[in-house]
Amino acid sequence: MTAGRREAFDVVVVGGGASGCVVAGRLSEDPSIRVLLIEEGPDPQPLPEVIADPRRQAELVLSSPYVRMYEAERQDGSSLPLLSGRVMGGGSSVNNLAVVRPMACDFETWSAFGGEAWSYAAMLPLMRAIERDDDFADDPIHGDSGPLMLSRGFRLDDPADPPVSALIEAAGALGLPPCPDLNQPAPYGVCASPYAVKDGRRQSSAVAYLDPARGRPNLTVLSDTSAGRVLIDGGRARGVEISDRGGARRVAAGAVVLAAGVYHTPQLLQLSGIGPEEELERLGVPVVVPLGGVGENYRDHAVVYVTFEGTTELREEWVIPKVRLIARSRPDVPVPDLHVFMRPTVRVAGLPPMLPVSLHLLEHRSAGRVRLASADPASLPVVEPALCEHPDDVRALVDGIGLAARLAAQPPLASYYGPMVSPSADDEWEAHVRTTYDTYHHGVGTCRLGREGDPGAVVDPRLRVHGVEGLLVADASVLPTVPHANTNLAAMLVGEVAARVVAGRPLAAVPETPPRP
Amino acid sequence: MRLRGAIRIAATPSATWAQLVAPVSLAGCVPGARDVRQVDDRTFQGTVHAAVGPMDGEFGFTASIEEASFPDTLVVRIEGVDTVTRSRLEAAVRASLSEAPGGTELAYDASVGVHGRLAILGEMVLRATASLMIDSAAACLRRRLEAVDPAVAGPAGGVT
Repeated sequence: MTAGRREAFDVVVVGGGASGCVVAGRLSEDPSIRVLLIEEGPDPQPLPEVIADPRRQAELVLSSPYVRMYEAERQDGSSLPLLSGRVMGGGSSVNNLAVVRPMACDFETWSAFGGEAWSYAAMLPLMRAIERDDDFADDPIHGDSGPLMLSRGFRLDDPADPPVSALIEAAGALGLPPCPDLNQPAPYGVCASPYAVKDGRRQSSAVAYLDPARGRPNLTVLSDTSAGRVLIDGGRARGVEISDRGGARRVAAGAVVLAAGVYHTPQLLQLSGIGPEEELERLGVPVVVPLGGVGENYRDHAVVYVTFEGTTELREEWVIPKVRLIARSRPDVPVPDLHVFMRPTVRVAGLPPMLPVSLHLLEHRSAGRVRLASADPASLPVVEPALCEHPDDVRALVDGIGLAARLAAQPPLASYYGPMVSPSADDEWEAHVRTTYDTYHHGVGTCRLGREGDPGAVVDPRLRVHGVEGLLVADASVLPTVPHANTNLAAMLVGEVAARVVAGRPLAAVPETPPRP
Repeated sequence: MRLRGAIRIAATPSATWAQLVAPVSLAGCVPGARDVRQVDDRTFQGTVHAAVGPMDGEFGFTASIEEASFPDTLVVRIEGVDTVTRSRLEAAVRASLSEAPGGTELAYDASVGVHGRLAILGEMVLRATASLMIDSAAACLRRRLEAVDPAVAGPAGGVT
């Protein structure tokens, strides 16, 4: 359905990413709710093979037009590229398709900000509603009829390729147990990786949630359309100013749901006059609601690579899609804080093969920020990720390098992994961490939730922007901390919460007045 | 990305210098370089094949000697584009020679910048590659210059 001349909707969802597609898909199940979904990127139909075919994921990220890059910097001034998906489905259309739930400890942390509604027990029904996981169909913590189909290319009791067997054996020798279900409340060890793949095709939230809804007369989808600002009058959101090739115009709405992602949702709020007063004044934007937390509290996962000289080559299909290690950087850390992956071989003519191991720190103790470069909606926001600033984060990654070295030295793996190249055993590992860290591309937190009176809170526990009626945020930017997991499923979970809140469905899981902790 | 270190070569500074400032000689010590051709007395071009998992492509580069003042200033600028992501790599390598026990110490300080999607793979690929390339180039120089006496060859430089 195309937006007509009289453009008025019950709900406008801004951003067709991992969570926005969930919100639009769920809300439009009720034929009485007129929903408009706008996405700045394209909505190519049929889906291009480079998106649909999971085997082309590296090509998708490295050379397709569906990824947007943001230039950030490490503390030493070196370049740190950040990414987002700029296509219907957002990050779920360009990510590596891992479907990983936050750990139970993450919900307990979030419930300190949002009350019991954000506890693991309260969120479990929503996580089950998202998925269909046939490998655990009889397990009460898993769903069997949700829109998102999970599959595993490898289960721990399947015959394994020799390098994968060697990894499992080596990890076992270091005390990491088999973990067949990565999505249990407290996963630890050698985990079979679940993916959003159905019949060999990517299951983005656009595929899983939006495609089944596209024929509904009450759903309008506009791609290649950007939002300039939320229209606010009398303390209430009244609509959105949007623009496309035909120019700018306004659409009226009873409610506006911002799901533009961790970089662009705070940008839209600030362009609408909602944000830190000093920032808004610097930009010349009239202050509508002063909210100091908008754009603050950026959290992400730092990644460090350890590269070994290889004795042979490891093909990508042998390693990445099969298993990941969920490990502790030190035995005494309370929660597993690392994802560890064997990476495929890097080959450069004239040099021995290189075998990287990546260490993904699942915590971020300091906090960065997203701020506006200008009041022009077309300008990309400036991201200051502040990764690896806290000494404990650096230490965890240094300890992780030691873990990788011990792992590669275990006899079954030592036949594949030679000496460390980068960093070498003699290098200063802390300097390696501080000057080379990368990111897992799991930014969250820039519009974090919290109760009224919480100075850093942007939305309440029901995702409603403080001080504005009819305006919600529904993406990973509401999460107070980065989960010990990939963030795509968490974003979809936020979308499920928002859809229920907007629809006014009675939700025991999201009480109107969350209890005090 | 910054790469700094030093390598020890059992040869005189002047002999080492002669290898470094001759483009054909220098190109011969770039591991894996092919289709190398000299453009002028300070410049050569070539390609290096590279692959990361299922992605592979060519990196075409131009290396130019920008400054050469024996023994303490040699500046080589390298620019190139890869065929997969069309990203641009720029590197400036400053080298200096000094007498050291048993021969010459070659100190280097390289600044490498990547512009484009290749930066997504940057630290996973470039740093380890650079480290191995430096080791390989140092071994190449030693083979060309040294008498067979491993005791004076010394350790390869580090990467920072």
